[in-house]
Amino acid sequence: MHNSPRAETDTPKKSPREIFNAWFPNNEWALLAVIAVEVFVFGISGENFLTAANGFEIGRLGVELGLLALALTPIIISGGIDLSAGSMMGLSAVVFGALWRDAQLPIPAAIVLTLAAGLAGGALNAVMIARFQLPPLIVTLGSFSLFRGLAEALTRGIENYSGFPPSFLFFGQGYLGGVLPPQLLLLGAAIIGYALLLHRTSIGRAIYAIGFSPEGARFAGIPVARRLALIYMLSGAAASAAAIVYVAHLGQAKADAGTGFELMAITAVVLGGTSIFGGRGTIPGSVLGLIAIVVLQNGLRLSGQPAELAGILTGALLVATILIDRATRRARIRTAAAAGIANGIAGDAEEAEEAGVKNSQVAVLSAVILAAALIVAGSNWLLVRSLRESAAPQGGKRGESSVEKSRPVIAMMPKAKGDPYFISCRQGAEEAARELGVDLLWDGPTDLDPAKQNEVVEAWITRGVDAIAVSVENQAGISTVLRKARERGIGVLTWDADSERDARDFFINQATPQGIGYTLMDEAARILDRRGEFAIITASLSAANQNEWIRHIRARLAAEYPEIKLVAVQPSDGDRDRAFAETQTVLKVHPGVRLVMAIAAPAVPGAAEAVKQSGRSEVKVTGLSLPNMCKPYVHSGVIESFVLWNTVDLGYLTVYAARALVAKELKPGARRLGAGRLGEIAVEGDEVRLGAPFIFNKSNIDRFDF
Amino acid sequence: MNRYRREIAAAAALAALLATVALIAPSFFSPANARDLALNNAPALIVATGMTFVILTGQIDISVGSQFAVASITAGVLAKAGLPMPAVAAAVVICGCAMGAVNGVLVARWRIPSIVATLAMMVVLRDALRWATEGAWVQNLPRNFQWFGLGQTAGGFIIVLAALLIFAASIFLLGRVAAGRAVYAVGASSEAARLAGIDPRRVTFGVFVWMGALTALAAFVNAARFAEVPGNAGVGLELKAIAAVVVGGTAITGGRGTLAGTLAGAALLAVIGPALAFLGVNPYWEKALQGAIILAALLSEIALGRMQRHAQFASR
Amino acid sequence: MTDNPLLHAAGLSKAFAGVQALDGASFELRSGEVHALVGENGAGKSTLIRIITGAIEADEGSILLDGETLSHLTPQEARRRGIAAIYQQPQIFPELSAAENIALGCERGGLWRLIDRSARRRRAGQLLERIGARFSPDAIASDLTMPEQQLLEIARAIGADARLLIMDEPTASLTEADVENLFRVIGELRDGGAGVIYISHRLEELPVIADRVTVLRDGRTIATRAMPEIDRRELIRLMVGRELSAVFPKREIEPGVTALELRGAGCTTSGVSDVTLELRAGEILGLAGLVGAGRTELARMIFGLTPADEGEIRVHGEGVRIESPADAIRLGIAYVPEDRRRHGVIAELPVRANTTLAALDEFSRYGFLDLGRERDTAAEYVARLGIKTASVDAEAATLSGGNQQKVALGRWLATKPAVLILDEPTQGIDIGAKAEIHRLMGDLAAEGMAILMISSEMPEILGMSDRIAVMRGGRIVGLFDRAEATPERVLELALKE
Repeated sequence: MHNSPRAETDTPKKSPREIFNAWFPNNEWALLAVIAVEVFVFGISGENFLTAANGFEIGRLGVELGLLALALTPIIISGGIDLSAGSMMGLSAVVFGALWRDAQLPIPAAIVLTLAAGLAGGALNAVMIARFQLPPLIVTLGSFSLFRGLAEALTRGIENYSGFPPSFLFFGQGYLGGVLPPQLLLLGAAIIGYALLLHRTSIGRAIYAIGFSPEGARFAGIPVARRLALIYMLSGAAASAAAIVYVAHLGQAKADAGTGFELMAITAVVLGGTSIFGGRGTIPGSVLGLIAIVVLQNGLRLSGQPAELAGILTGALLVATILIDRATRRARIRTAAAAGIANGIAGDAEEAEEAGVKNSQVAVLSAVILAAALIVAGSNWLLVRSLRESAAPQGGKRGESSVEKSRPVIAMMPKAKGDPYFISCRQGAEEAARELGVDLLWDGPTDLDPAKQNEVVEAWITRGVDAIAVSVENQAGISTVLRKARERGIGVLTWDADSERDARDFFINQATPQGIGYTLMDEAARILDRRGEFAIITASLSAANQNEWIRHIRARLAAEYPEIKLVAVQPSDGDRDRAFAETQTVLKVHPGVRLVMAIAAPAVPGAAEAVKQSGRSEVKVTGLSLPNMCKPYVHSGVIESFVLWNTVDLGYLTVYAARALVAKELKPGARRLGAGRLGEIAVEGDEVRLGAPFIFNKSNIDRFDF
Repeated sequence: MNRYRREIAAAAALAALLATVALIAPSFFSPANARDLALNNAPALIVATGMTFVILTGQIDISVGSQFAVASITAGVLAKAGLPMPAVAAAVVICGCAMGAVNGVLVARWRIPSIVATLAMMVVLRDALRWATEGAWVQNLPRNFQWFGLGQTAGGFIIVLAALLIFAASIFLLGRVAAGRAVYAVGASSEAARLAGIDPRRVTFGVFVWMGALTALAAFVNAARFAEVPGNAGVGLELKAIAAVVVGGTAITGGRGTLAGTLAGAALLAVIGPALAFLGVNPYWEKALQGAIILAALLSEIALGRMQRHAQFASR
Repeated sequence: MTDNPLLHAAGLSKAFAGVQALDGASFELRSGEVHALVGENGAGKSTLIRIITGAIEADEGSILLDGETLSHLTPQEARRRGIAAIYQQPQIFPELSAAENIALGCERGGLWRLIDRSARRRRAGQLLERIGARFSPDAIASDLTMPEQQLLEIARAIGADARLLIMDEPTASLTEADVENLFRVIGELRDGGAGVIYISHRLEELPVIADRVTVLRDGRTIATRAMPEIDRRELIRLMVGRELSAVFPKREIEPGVTALELRGAGCTTSGVSDVTLELRAGEILGLAGLVGAGRTELARMIFGLTPADEGEIRVHGEGVRIESPADAIRLGIAYVPEDRRRHGVIAELPVRANTTLAALDEFSRYGFLDLGRERDTAAEYVARLGIKTASVDAEAATLSGGNQQKVALGRWLATKPAVLILDEPTQGIDIGAKAEIHRLMGDLAAEGMAILMISSEMPEILGMSDRIAVMRGGRIVGLFDRAEATPERVLELALKE
């Protein structure tokens, strides 16, 4: 609204500075500079960063986030906030899946109804915020829980919808004219629509007025409540649209879609120059903010830099752009004042002066950020050594920008980098990489996030690695992009969890879900002596692997152990402390429980600690976890036993298999695979088998260190 | 009645929930359960206490979850390095003060909106920690780490006592010390406070440091309940603390609210999950109900306001 | 009265981002005197007192308190030295009780001192009683009315036991009785040896309360005189630097058809009841009354901000329901509110956006704004109303108070109203701009607009209105034609208990 490039006829010619300010009312130039720097740096350091294909890929990754950021822009301009958008995505995804599969509606009808559901969810926020005048932050904090909770309740966490028709999936995964991801068109339309709404219509004008002064807007006859209601409802619908794109992109509708997206979207909008206090901000600014974030993530990936840098840099950027805005706004007020305008400005100028940021302070800030980065980098090196004790050295080669062509590059992805399970896998993978003289790229989502997995694989394809090995979080979601990798001649393995069969060359199978489920149940029956009650502490209620295991556990239970009863399944969200509290509750609500089976790695020590503190020595813990985490409890007898395979060996074997695949030694029909210290490993069809699940107990646990 | 409408709404919701549980599952009210609930939620109460100060000042801190994680790991690493527990506690609190001070400088000195500044801190701290530890846990801690080496009963008692002491001290600080009244004054009107001779920047800075110190302390007593320290502690803690404070009636715009309300809010949120389990409600509904109860508390406040207005008219 | 100055300020200069607010001003205050400070808006009065209280720091010049130079004064330091101030906008803490507000204003000591609540209450009770306030120390400030908040602010300043007390427009929203009380207390303070700096736009108050008067203009000290030696006319001449022969242009217009009619209308929530009123085209109806008499509430009722729930409202003879400002605008009713900064304009929006804000539908086609027409219309009003602004794209915040008021007026003229309600249209703006607004009101009435003007300034009411309605306690208690209205009769009616 400030930026009207319309030619002036009746006023004197504008100075270059005024024109500059008219085009960049909120210092969007700073973001353009940031994006330019990003492009420059990653153009040099990233593999194939500067290609049209990568450009479109970046676009595809930004669509869902972009839709949320667009819808959030007018809300933040109005002085509000919507924390529920990410949760609304989850709810919409589930509703969409249910409408299509359970209600058997055709896709278009399901889309329309899902958008209607989004509108309804937005309307709930709207009523409470616009009608009852409750603070948006609290209202949407409540609906943030409510929407996600409804999504989980509707699916019982277990249900996930997949098998959507290819014509629908094309929208999320295909290419128009061979290059253009179709959902980009939707984002483009949304950008234009929101830009027009905000900058060219009377509604948009009203929203700015409300943002600067809700009272003043009311006195000007603006229907404040109706305008606010509109933007919150639009936000709900936009979240639904984002959910549909997300489902088409990943081929699967689950309750955890869009987790954490709300904060990312807020970051993009604020980075784009929108004031969190309302009033100031533009759609082009938000789009630039979005681009800056998405390019940063993609570029870091293509440069082989750790993804954690993205968060650190984004945080620094946020602070820096606001300080720049502060500094230049002060300068601008000064010029305006110098132009001879009277004294109403004095207050503002004074304020600006006081809040003013001196250049020296910006320099100090930059120095602090740099120093902090160095400290973090240094402590990374120190801490990891001291914590791991196994003295597994770093990947080392990650940071190098030019990879020698003679050394094959093997890219390996865990489900979540922070998970101790995968950290131990990495140990083995790095050991194998050293032995074989290959470069290992180890990257993936920081937390369970199927969309991130796709993103990383896309980046690897663009970068041009020799082999990709993925621990798959979401079968339907990742298979398309893995097929694409195969088409480009990249060797594709899956490990730990499989994709669709035709999407990869081989699967490194540590154990089947059935094998795990049966082993767990059999072990539980042994501890319970075939009779009694037990409870399960799972990861999150929508965790796919765990739900699969629980299914097999129940099957085995029904078939073999009629006198054992499963009385509760409680979530732990992969959090040790939550597992602890849930176990305490279970023990009290079901005093008859004699065994707690925790099936997420951090949940086992949590459950064990709870049992230990309850003082009930007759209750035992079993489950699926890592030896180092459980050692003290195994020794003290709280944990009778637990099930796992040798995760270090799993990582080790995967890298050996990948190397063999690249060297064409592992090809269809192969019977054996030489795997270094593991010796010869059997290959059955398209699966490489690590061996059966292993039961750890007091007698053998000290032989393992991972 | 008028001024404490929101506190009353939260307390009423809590009472309704407890009454339901008392009718259907009286075993909920066992001493053992009370002890476990108190222990499990003592750290969250400490954080919510600090958050009350921050919100009263008209600010917000969404980086407490990340601060909590950093402080937890710091506690573990230092204890493992062989420092005695009191020294660990002191060092962890200093670390928390430092993190709070960074927030304080960003917000008070450089006037960056607190939600943005602490959003930046949240991602920076969390990702820096991930980068530094790569998700590893601190294990093989010395014997005197868990329960401060005092055993479960004494240690647990100390933790709950610490939380209560901090809570009581905070009530005293807010109500009876000039600095506490200054928190209300700055939250109500920063400019008026300045003209009344209070330096709002100092108060704001101080409040963030206090928040950091309390978060670190909470992380420390939480860590001491276990024998190892996980690398990803405190995810979502900020939302839990903010929810407790605002459900407890503190105005998000600052200047209005009480710690008693925060206690009611924290208790409500702490009891929902276990209460549902005792009631036999399927855990899949827990999150949805939690959201619904927050919204219901908000709406009941409006309903109470309506009733009161009617009463006023009637008495005219 | 002693002769050694309590405060001596010399050569004070202060520029805000290039605007020279003070330009070598000097000022002197003795112990035991009330020294009035007058000048047009923007003359530098507020800047001067903000420097003295340490709220801001001067670029140049010196301040001596008791002969001692004060440098790098902060509000804390000023308070320590016994300087207290009442600012134009009450600087109270809305969520805190009256006692707390008073304590925060006058207690001294560090952040870590303990608080004695009952002592606070006792002291607050005494102070409130002294200035004749009738609310409890436990009352929450935000529940108080505007005049009560002003009294609270006064109690707080007095409670500081200041040797130097600054009052910036303390009477702006006070009733006559409260003003009398205030003057009594000021007199007591003066007799106790304190120095009082008194700022007011109400020149008629000055002979009553002030010993000396200093006139500021364009950031410079123009003159300091003993109060008895100077009359109102001379004071105005010094303030504006020119004679103003007629502040209120007279005009005679034959009133036309009835534009707005109220029959027993009222609104329970805002306390307006049983208002019967008729407003004709081409007429200016003055609405007189004390602050809190329900004038603004009546205006807000007509404008749909607090919809009427009893009686009848007719516009051009037709019964209507006005549930929202949007309804009012549709019916051709416009309302220029009292609080310019909060309600009249949106300071951060450019002048052109402010101009069209109440008539957005007029300036859009299928919801899309016609930015060209908006610009043209804004430029038209800038020219017509003589708004001094760099361009129509300048933010309203960069304009002076008087020009902001003109922008607010322009916004409502852009809706082409038949009925224009003006709430204190010239409050707090300088004399030049005031005259322009009065001239404009005359022109608008001549064009056939029906104008309802709320004003607390008796000369304005008497000079501008064709008829004068007097309100008290939410009701109309009297109606005069211009010929029969005198200040005494109007005031008597407004005051009657």
